[in-house]
Amino acid sequence: MFSLLLISIPVGLIGSLTGLGGASILIPLMVLFGIPVKEAIASGMVSVIATSSGSASAYVRQRIANVKIAMYLEMFTSVGAIIGATITTLIAPVYLYFFFAAFLMTSFLKLKRRPQPDQFSPAGRSRLSRWLTLEGSYFDEARKEIITYTADRPLLGGLGMMVAGLAAGMLGIGAGAFKVTVQEHILRLPSKVASTTSNFIVGMTALAGTSVYLFSGFLNLTLMAPMAIGTTLGAIAGGRVLNKLNDRMLRGLFFCVVVLLIVQMLYKGAASW
Amino acid sequence: MVDRHGEGNGAGALEGLISYILITGVVISLFLEAAGLVLFYRSSGTLAISHGGRVIIRAEDFFALLGQLFSAASSGWPLRLMTLGIAVLILTPYARALLSVIYFACQRNFKYLAVTLFVVIILTVSLLVH
Repeated sequence: MFSLLLISIPVGLIGSLTGLGGASILIPLMVLFGIPVKEAIASGMVSVIATSSGSASAYVRQRIANVKIAMYLEMFTSVGAIIGATITTLIAPVYLYFFFAAFLMTSFLKLKRRPQPDQFSPAGRSRLSRWLTLEGSYFDEARKEIITYTADRPLLGGLGMMVAGLAAGMLGIGAGAFKVTVQEHILRLPSKVASTTSNFIVGMTALAGTSVYLFSGFLNLTLMAPMAIGTTLGAIAGGRVLNKLNDRMLRGLFFCVVVLLIVQMLYKGAASW
Repeated sequence: MVDRHGEGNGAGALEGLISYILITGVVISLFLEAAGLVLFYRSSGTLAISHGGRVIIRAEDFFALLGQLFSAASSGWPLRLMTLGIAVLILTPYARALLSVIYFACQRNFKYLAVTLFVVIILTVSLLVH
């Protein structure tokens, strides 16, 4: 447990810097060291609640994360997470390695971000978006101005978030990169609102998934406790050094980590076939 | 009028309360888990990862798990503290969802009362039924 705690701290830090989250990195590492994949996934889900709740607390207080949009989207992610976690308890572990590797590939969507527009308030916003007042504003420190935005295509965005929730529940991760992509490209939210709101939603999605694992006997205290402590400490440290690293360095780190994790999970899957 | 912090979603008081609940829950949970780990090492002399028996949390439902925690037949204090830490962690987002329901009910915002109530019902059912 002590070595898992020690490993979890730098992993939490790298997870925070790359935006992948600690669980996405730690689960393949635990599998590499012989931890059963379903126990690793269930423990990852619990650590996601800790890291997400810890960082979301600050974003909500600063009013960058949009609580109303988050609550609307949580209807979809929580249902998806329960379905995903149930699938994991039922299927053979070997498929999980391949699903994990495939879903990690969607993280590359993060590298293909389009430049953000200056205006985030579409003229013809949907009726549902108006009815639910899926809108907000925040003060952007970099641009030194108040950014006003509204969520576009909320139903399609909700469906995208259900897929994200399903993957999160199934693989024990936050699926943050996928959630951010849905919010930026479908709901057309500003990047900062998308990433902080995603962080807020991740904790609720993880709770929905964890509730399924509670009955299945995959929640291992000797894995969960050190993992939750270590990844949360690492994520806190990551948040402090993030602004000191340049974007190119972060993208390089992200690329190397994701490729290594994909190779490791594919290898494990092929070896278990 | 929008201040320097923006208006987020027009529910400033709710945001403050949610932020407080989240950070309090995480701090209490991690403290309990850390205390459980230290006591576990002191009582067993090892911090080896185990894959069976007492270290696996398994319960009929979440509330049965809470009941087990306080029953005489439950495992020793180290594992009990770690389980309590996990239970607090699970309850943290649940508590903020419950708080949102109460907030929107007090505000008579029936649209968001329905949205948050849906999430709470889904979570409650998932914690009770398997």
